[in-house]
Amino acid sequence: MTDRRRINGPVGATIPPVFEDTLTQELKAVKKRSRPPNAIRKMYLKTGVTPSASGSAYLEIETTGKPGVSGLKLSCSVHGPRSLPRSSPFSPHMVLSTHVKYAPFATNKRRGYLRDPIERDLGTHLEAALRGAIIADRWPKSGVDIIISIVEGDQDRETSKFQGDEMWDMMNALSGCITVASAALADAGIDCVDTVAGGVAALVQESGDDSTSPNIVVDPIPSEHDKILAACCVAYLPTRDEITNLWFKGDLPASEMELYTKMVEKGIQASRHANRVLIECLTETIG
Amino acid sequence: MAEPESTTATTSASLTFSRPVFAKLSPHPYLLRNLSPADGQPATRTNGRTPREARPVQINVSSLSHAHGSALVRTGDTTVICGVRGEILPVGQIPQFRPPSSQQQQQEQEQEQDGSSAAGRRELKEYDLLVPNIELATGSAPQFLPGVPPTPLAQTLSTRVYSLLHATGLVRAEDLRVWYMPPAAAAEGEQDQGGRMEGVEGSGEDEEAREQQLVAYWVLYIDLLFISFDGNPFDAAWAAVVAALKDTKLPAARWDPDREMVVCSRTETKKLDVRGLPVACSAAVFLEKEHGEPGEGRHWLLLDPDRLEESLCKEVITMVVDCSDGEAKVKSLEKQGGTVLGRELIRAFAGVAEGRWREVKEAMR
Repeated sequence: MTDRRRINGPVGATIPPVFEDTLTQELKAVKKRSRPPNAIRKMYLKTGVTPSASGSAYLEIETTGKPGVSGLKLSCSVHGPRSLPRSSPFSPHMVLSTHVKYAPFATNKRRGYLRDPIERDLGTHLEAALRGAIIADRWPKSGVDIIISIVEGDQDRETSKFQGDEMWDMMNALSGCITVASAALADAGIDCVDTVAGGVAALVQESGDDSTSPNIVVDPIPSEHDKILAACCVAYLPTRDEITNLWFKGDLPASEMELYTKMVEKGIQASRHANRVLIECLTETIG
Repeated sequence: MAEPESTTATTSASLTFSRPVFAKLSPHPYLLRNLSPADGQPATRTNGRTPREARPVQINVSSLSHAHGSALVRTGDTTVICGVRGEILPVGQIPQFRPPSSQQQQQEQEQEQDGSSAAGRRELKEYDLLVPNIELATGSAPQFLPGVPPTPLAQTLSTRVYSLLHATGLVRAEDLRVWYMPPAAAAEGEQDQGGRMEGVEGSGEDEEAREQQLVAYWVLYIDLLFISFDGNPFDAAWAAVVAALKDTKLPAARWDPDREMVVCSRTETKKLDVRGLPVACSAAVFLEKEHGEPGEGRHWLLLDPDRLEESLCKEVITMVVDCSDGEAKVKSLEKQGGTVLGRELIRAFAGVAEGRWREVKEAMR
């Protein structure tokens, strides 16, 4: 059914541009990761981009220097705390509602305006990550809206053919969302036990042959690795040493418990790095 | 010594409110008092501007990598991002498609000097080749929250941008056509074997026998995202649309007869030819009497209103002017909500809009 409240364009389906070399040319050689395995990309964080909101923040993660690879650009605004509508049932603590939305021009494929399952998924995980950090009991009967627009998704423009590419991109997007939402919450003056930040670690297999053992890297870019076996996104509170949300994807044999814990540890390490940026940004705003 | 001073300070602090509190409690008297100060001072608005002063414009282009053209426009606290994305619409997908005859093309070539042709306009409109959409529900202001269908304001804005795009003839259908030149049956091998994107140049006299075929159109999806909203959304959105279209580079497209589809070149791009530079300029009329009949009492024309002023004014005027040919041409004029603005005031407003055009032009460079 067409959405009559928006301008929908032509009746017939339109096709995104197909390039000459899409079929003929083999996949380009994967660009190798230039960073050490335990370094995350540089990020830029700023609060107060939307003055009419209670709190807001903007996060940008740098591109890898390769043209055509876009970094992550996120804008987050927090509205509230405000009283819940009369119709809603009594709540002894603050009700969080999170919305994550990709802009139509954020990814390789044009996105629609209606929320798709990926965005719902991101919203749920974000809510879980933040709920652990907010002192929700201080605001009974009130609600707060956290809205994130992904202006530019972390996606390679040229490699759309990677299998399950989007699945791994979601991890990076979520970790960015957690960090930027945490900054916006602090900007809104909502009490938190600690600043929560996201970090991603992935188990990657290099150069195709199975003889080399897979290794763990932080902040992976799917186009820089031959194959990603598994990835996990961690939302971590550094001073309390607590994880508020853990999202794990991929295949790992159940016997390799050690590998699993190692990945989570690496994710925590990435989160600590992001947290340092977050703290610096917030102290700058105050001071 | 210091003690009495501090006591007066505390008492006065407890009696007066800060400016934002006044603005929230009684917005209309607050703005009125600011506009008519007691002691002969010039009228200033609550945001510190004079009535005829607009916020400075900042425009950044080409910051998005997935869009074919993009722009970020910031006027004061209103920030909007626009991304233009081209997609291919094969003519087979268009119901009731009427191919333009070669005769028509000839006419178009002649008409090209004076703007877009009637046939081109028909194509743009009938096949819906321009798709602008405005999203306000990004938390840009407390009243726009996601999870609900687009607000009436968002719908109105999208429609206004849509109709203005067609009315101004900013983009011509000729630039959006993808042509295919079928190979000649005999040996005319020295001509280029594929189709060409710009058909008008390809049709020389000597190849009149082989007729070009129109195989597809580019559809431009123009998506606008408000990051921050503080009044006057239309001016900012329209400036973003124009800047993004001027920045748009579509890949060179040709028809591949073997695959029966349109393929694009990765390296070769073609800049979209945007005609003119229409700039929107809005103002709101603020009346002295909050509930009185329009016409009684004083009134102020507030250029580029912010969110507080917009909520207090009923009458709004938007004028779209283009001075790129030297003299100011009014491309569109919209006025609603009152009867204060008469003929003289609107004529005077055209001068204000011209000044705004210069500012925006300067920002676009």
